[in-house]
Amino acid sequence: MDEHFKLQVNSLVKVMDDLDYYQILKLDQMAFDDDIKRAYFEESRLYHPDKYFNEPLEFQTMVTQVFKRVCEAYKVLCDKERRALYTRQISGPDRKKFLRFDLKVLEQERAKKEDEGQTPMGKKYYQLAKAAIQNKDFKGAKINLQLAVKMEPRNSTFAEKLKEVEDVLAMRRKL
Amino acid sequence: MGRAVGIDLGTSTSCVAIVKDGKPMALPAPDGRFIQASVVSFLEDGSRVVGNAAKAMMVENAEHTIYSAKRLIGRKFFQAEVKKAQAVCTYEIVEGPNQSVRVKARGREYSCPEISAMVLMEMKRIAEAQLGEEVDKAVITVPANFNDGQRQATKDAGTIAGLNVLRIINEPTAAALSYGFGKGLKQKIAVYDFGGGTFDISILEIGEDVYEVISTAGDMYLGGDDFDDRLIDYMAEQFMRKHNLDVRQDRKALQRLKNAAEQAKVELTEKLEVTVSLPGIMEEMGGKLDLNITINRNYFGQMIMDLIQKTFKVCDEALQNAHMTVENIDALILVGGPTKMPVIREAVKSYFFKDPHFGIDPEEVVAMGAGIQASTLVEARPGALLLDVTPMSLGIATAGGLMDTLIERNTPIPTESARIFTTTHDNQAAVKIRIFQGENRKYEQNELLGEFRLAEIPPAPAGTPKIEVTFEIDANGIVNVTARDRDTGQAQSVQLNVSGGLSQEEIQRLKSEHHKGEEVSKFKPGLELPQQ
Repeated sequence: MDEHFKLQVNSLVKVMDDLDYYQILKLDQMAFDDDIKRAYFEESRLYHPDKYFNEPLEFQTMVTQVFKRVCEAYKVLCDKERRALYTRQISGPDRKKFLRFDLKVLEQERAKKEDEGQTPMGKKYYQLAKAAIQNKDFKGAKINLQLAVKMEPRNSTFAEKLKEVEDVLAMRRKL
Repeated sequence: MGRAVGIDLGTSTSCVAIVKDGKPMALPAPDGRFIQASVVSFLEDGSRVVGNAAKAMMVENAEHTIYSAKRLIGRKFFQAEVKKAQAVCTYEIVEGPNQSVRVKARGREYSCPEISAMVLMEMKRIAEAQLGEEVDKAVITVPANFNDGQRQATKDAGTIAGLNVLRIINEPTAAALSYGFGKGLKQKIAVYDFGGGTFDISILEIGEDVYEVISTAGDMYLGGDDFDDRLIDYMAEQFMRKHNLDVRQDRKALQRLKNAAEQAKVELTEKLEVTVSLPGIMEEMGGKLDLNITINRNYFGQMIMDLIQKTFKVCDEALQNAHMTVENIDALILVGGPTKMPVIREAVKSYFFKDPHFGIDPEEVVAMGAGIQASTLVEARPGALLLDVTPMSLGIATAGGLMDTLIERNTPIPTESARIFTTTHDNQAAVKIRIFQGENRKYEQNELLGEFRLAEIPPAPAGTPKIEVTFEIDANGIVNVTARDRDTGQAQSVQLNVSGGLSQEEIQRLKSEHHKGEEVSKFKPGLELPQQ
């Protein structure tokens, strides 16, 4: 096999942890979806371990390391939601921390989004309800939360909050 | 050095293939058939018969003839599928060590990988007889939704059979490979795989020499065997109406009925009507009762239509995961004997708005793909690169009862994910971690793959050791775990206890044992099928 390629793989393994997924796939951050797939296929043609099945184990391990990272990069960049989040993260000050995508971050991000609402009106009513709760205006809070739930029927935070307020109101009636 | 072959180790049938002069081809057995039954029959004199000849013994030697071992391989004794098999199988299924499944024949217990190894050895022999040289390497196929344990057990079966298992690949991927090999296609394809025991659908994109699996979905409990069951029930009920006797209560009669049902199903592919006649299937007060029932193709189609419709729900799921609709699919490949049935072909055609590809026999297409992959690997000039995915999410148990997902399903393989673990009390020497595979948020609802211990942790205050554990899914879809101390970089010992599996020592012991066994049966006169 090409000695030059061997050296290339060798150095790539060493610097890989400092590269972002765009750099791994040799792509621009503005790349189109089609480019991402094309790049994935191109890089696979270079680093797919099956091409080196009869090479020394040491080289196979190395090239597999590179290929795994290629797959990882593709998995994140081919998903619109993940790509947007990832691109934002690596463009920020904590770039180094985010070079490899973490599923946990995605989950947290999703939870955060859902917490405060995903539609403008849902967000607004939820904020109004929170303010009402602060002022102990539970009736007002209930109306706003009902509207928020109407906007986002699947938002579990809204639904739970509404139930909480309803419980408080029920307690008050009893007293 | 021997040859490398591809083997489709199926639930009901198996097939072996090679690439010759750049062309994939299935190899015939001495009986002239390209497809062999995945059946092992243990005879009274201690010898065994494998393949189509073994299947022919299913009636007379029902209790000692093992079939559909693939439904049990890599499973644990308490699982629903095992209980289901126990209720319907004519052979005995018992619990082995470590919650494993064992089958019993002639008073001896066998693990499922041993039984599969016997089928693989038969395929190896068929290939050797055809090629006139030794075969010692193989690519073996498994259903796309096989989990880690099932893949590992299949690999173990190969090792016991004396084969160097080059790779475990997914059946639909193999089918795509034999469809696209050497054609330089740029297409999106669907592989509709209706086997004896399971249904799988995969959506792939072919980019000349690259085969990317975009999504895959399946139903582990749906297969051609279910069609047989419908026919059996129908015929048994007809018989009962006439004679007030249940054929299903008599083991031998049931086995005859089963064989007849399967044959009727196959014949209905060609014929519009078949008559099943089983003279003297039951006895009543000394007299013999006959079973004579005529079934027409349309009626049979109605009987199984709900099962076929079930497959399309799974297809919907796969397309949805791939962000596609049927219009995006350029070609449709059929896999498995049942897809030869006109009723399935029609239903599939109307679902996909497309005629399926007719170039390759659905019963040989998977083995041929495996053969291509085998030759590709040994010749090191790949005409095809597979980009496959893992069918299930992999995660670890957390204190709250939830699964912490490390690798999601449909992630391209090989892949890895790392996590840092630490201790919860001072001078703790070991940490136990349980790995699961499945989609439920609660780990209890998913399948336990195994448990590993990080042992010999140097004494330190709680929370200070930082052990980085890397979970890898390799190209075979098999999970490997490694660990290292994050500060010192030193490898940390990992003791992995795979539930239900065989140990390395057992595999090696079985390997040498079965090879002796093979020698014995080779020279048993009368058991071998006549040479061509």
